[in-house]
Amino acid sequence: MESPQQSTTPMPSTAQPRELSRLAALLRYEILDTPEDSAFDDFTALAAQMCDTPIALISLVDDRRQWFKSRVGLDVSETSREISFCTYTIAGDEIFEVPDTLQDPRFCNNPLVLGEPHIRFYAGTPLTSPDGYNLGTLCVIDRQPRRLSPEQRETLERLGRQVIRLFEQHLLAHRHAEQAALQQAILDSASSAVLVTRPDGVVTSVNPTAERLLGYSEQALVGHPLTAALFRPEALQRRALLLSSELQVPVEADFSVLSAPLHRGRRDMSEWRLRHQNGNEVPVLLGVSAIHDEQEHLRGYLVNAYDLAYQEQLQLRLQQIAAQVPGMLFQFHWRADGPACFPYVSEGVEQIYGLSPGQLAGSFAPIVGRVHGPDRSALLISIRKAASELTPWHSEHRVEHPHKGLIWVEARATPLQQADGSVLWHGFVTDITARKAEQLELDKQQEMNRRLLEALSEAVIACDAEGNLTLFNEKAKQWHGADVAPLSPSEWAHHYRLYRADGVTPLEPEEIPLRRALNGEHVIDHEMVLLSNGAPRHVLSNADPLYTSDGQRMGAVVVLHDITERKRIERLQREFISTVSHELRTPLTSITGALALICSNVMGEVPESMHELLEIAQQNSQRLSALIDDLLDMDKLHAGKMRFDMLEQPLQPQLELALRSNGSYAERHGVQLHLGACPPVNVTVDAMRLQQVLSNLLSNAAKFSPAGERVELSAQVSDGRVRVSVRDQGPGISDEFRARVFQKFAQADSSDSRQQGGTGLGLAISKELIEHMGGQIGFESEPSQGACFWFELPIQGQAKESP
Amino acid sequence: MKQLKRILHVEDVPSIQVVTRIALEKLGGFEVLSCQSGQAALDQVQAFAPDLILLDVMLPQMDGIELVRQLADLVDLQQTPVVFLTGHLQPERLQELRQLGVRQVLGKPFDPLQLATQLRQIWEAEHG
Repeated sequence: MESPQQSTTPMPSTAQPRELSRLAALLRYEILDTPEDSAFDDFTALAAQMCDTPIALISLVDDRRQWFKSRVGLDVSETSREISFCTYTIAGDEIFEVPDTLQDPRFCNNPLVLGEPHIRFYAGTPLTSPDGYNLGTLCVIDRQPRRLSPEQRETLERLGRQVIRLFEQHLLAHRHAEQAALQQAILDSASSAVLVTRPDGVVTSVNPTAERLLGYSEQALVGHPLTAALFRPEALQRRALLLSSELQVPVEADFSVLSAPLHRGRRDMSEWRLRHQNGNEVPVLLGVSAIHDEQEHLRGYLVNAYDLAYQEQLQLRLQQIAAQVPGMLFQFHWRADGPACFPYVSEGVEQIYGLSPGQLAGSFAPIVGRVHGPDRSALLISIRKAASELTPWHSEHRVEHPHKGLIWVEARATPLQQADGSVLWHGFVTDITARKAEQLELDKQQEMNRRLLEALSEAVIACDAEGNLTLFNEKAKQWHGADVAPLSPSEWAHHYRLYRADGVTPLEPEEIPLRRALNGEHVIDHEMVLLSNGAPRHVLSNADPLYTSDGQRMGAVVVLHDITERKRIERLQREFISTVSHELRTPLTSITGALALICSNVMGEVPESMHELLEIAQQNSQRLSALIDDLLDMDKLHAGKMRFDMLEQPLQPQLELALRSNGSYAERHGVQLHLGACPPVNVTVDAMRLQQVLSNLLSNAAKFSPAGERVELSAQVSDGRVRVSVRDQGPGISDEFRARVFQKFAQADSSDSRQQGGTGLGLAISKELIEHMGGQIGFESEPSQGACFWFELPIQGQAKESP
Repeated sequence: MKQLKRILHVEDVPSIQVVTRIALEKLGGFEVLSCQSGQAALDQVQAFAPDLILLDVMLPQMDGIELVRQLADLVDLQQTPVVFLTGHLQPERLQELRQLGVRQVLGKPFDPLQLATQLRQIWEAEHG
């Protein structure tokens, strides 16, 4: 051992790597700034006593100070490292002794030497950890110079080693406490109930989950045999018997039923029903494992109880739900390279596949066996595809059900990729045979409808509620020379070349029948022209809005009926009538002329006997002439060739003229024509046509009036119009005839027509004429109270009320 | 005052020609020359020297208006009124006819019992 005087080493450095490791070692003991501890104080007291010094310290040196874990004869708990003696001690491996500080140049100016505690003597032994770090010192201090005896030095070193051992113990105890706290925390937070027993099965510890699950407090269980407290004896006996035969050794009906199986392996799982404190039974899955110490001695058992009640409840709920589902619920495990299986299927598997869950036993093959042969490969392909893409699986396939025969089922499932690459599906299968049948029926119906539409000689076009065209049947395509196009209704007329009946004016969008129907209108027999495909095609459109069964507007449909041919025939008919009429007119003129001459006796007195026949011939030729005239007028009106020489003129002279012109005709019927009130108004008319209308109305009135009655012609002003009325005392207009009065060839009673004469065109022509002159025609009649035919014309110039 | 006596009548339809001629002769007491075509009328008009000419406008080969034009070259239409018998005539044509000296257009079909009276009225309107 060297003398301290020889040591002239400077203050040891604190920044070397070795010093950092030393500090880490010191911190590991977690002893700095801990409370006083009598175990350490014993050593300082012993050191002071043995070395006969007033001061002894256990000093720990960290990066900036020395801290005293234990001290004798000193009040301060720490001093700065720069002035510390111990820094020198820990730099070496042996006792560091300073016999007289005032003689030592390193310490003669040290404040601890010059001031309190006036150190003159110092001796310290390093406290060296098992891994070789000097953590601090055990040191003794005196206020006078001196030296330690060899015995004292040895004692100080021994004591220093004991202090280190105490550090080690301290550290170990700390570690144990931590471990225990961790174990307790794990136990307490375990979601399963945990009970710890001694090797003989007596409970030593219980976690809160176990208290909750079983209803006993920890105190109520600890110290009691586990099986006696929680297990029913019958159950233990049953299990004991079972195990005895299984293990070929006798097993007692006590804790052995739990521990005995462990001899076969490390852990045993079994289901039990434990007794709850309230007398109920708690279904659990028990896991028992043995606890061994390092020497492999059995220290007890760890008993884990997993609550099955919740799971049982879940299972029950699943079963109940599954039972309500019309079909089968399943969980399906699919591997690309191994056998697929059903971890779960509901009872519905019977209903769908005619298999009981027992028959199925989780395997896939029986199900595939039930799938209708032709559908099998597509089914497997679809599963594989959905599994590889992890997309929801949907399949409709047929099943050969042992009782129901061939049924249609629909299956859906969602894939869940498993860690091992397999796929777990959750899904359901339902019987859709009925729906499928309906679907097939519907398809058939639709096919039928489609064929009907195609077979129609009408064009059918439909659109949805938004006005998107959805249907053109074959005829519609043909007539339009086009198919459904994505157009807005405002573009239809232009795109499909729709024209008014005249064939030259394009339809305005709001005139298009389909569009009108889309707005809720019922369009009946609207005539229009399609120009899309060659020659103009005249069609009648009938359009209707379409509604769903609950009254929602779902679109509109229009049916186009081709009347081009009818129009052509009508034109031919008109031309024919026109030609024939013209041809007939000339000979008729000769006949009527000749007859008129004969009857007027110009050619000499006609014998009495001929009068009657001549009369018949003359009347009928006149009637024929009138008919021809009417036909030609009608033709002209239709063809738009009737000329109207409109001239503003007073009304009254026209009425007077009509009265004069028809007077003789009325007289022949024994009827008197009478002119009633007539306001002094002007009308703009073609006088000849007005006369034609008046003649028609007056002659009709005369014709239908009983002899001796009178027919009154009159006019009244109202609302800027003048109404001219012809009132008779005839039989009136019957209800059946009312609607047809102004139709062509309408006569009240065809059996009557020969007697009454007339062409049946008069009123139809009158209506056309009045309307052409801006007026309206109509009638009022009560059966058997006469009839009043009237027409109204706009008044020109000043209008005065009739006097 | 000169009496209406001689009437040149042009009508292509024989039956109407007959009826018209009889009506005029019997009821009017006129001397009537009936021609079946415009050409025949032109051939005979000077020889016959009618007081009045009665025409059907719709004649084959030559229509009534053309006939009037050609007649105007042969006779003084101011002195010899021309009356048309027609079913349909447009007003502007009527205007044209008036300029040529046509006095009156009577509608067709005509009433044979009234025709003689109508012609006499037209005549008297000029010469009365």
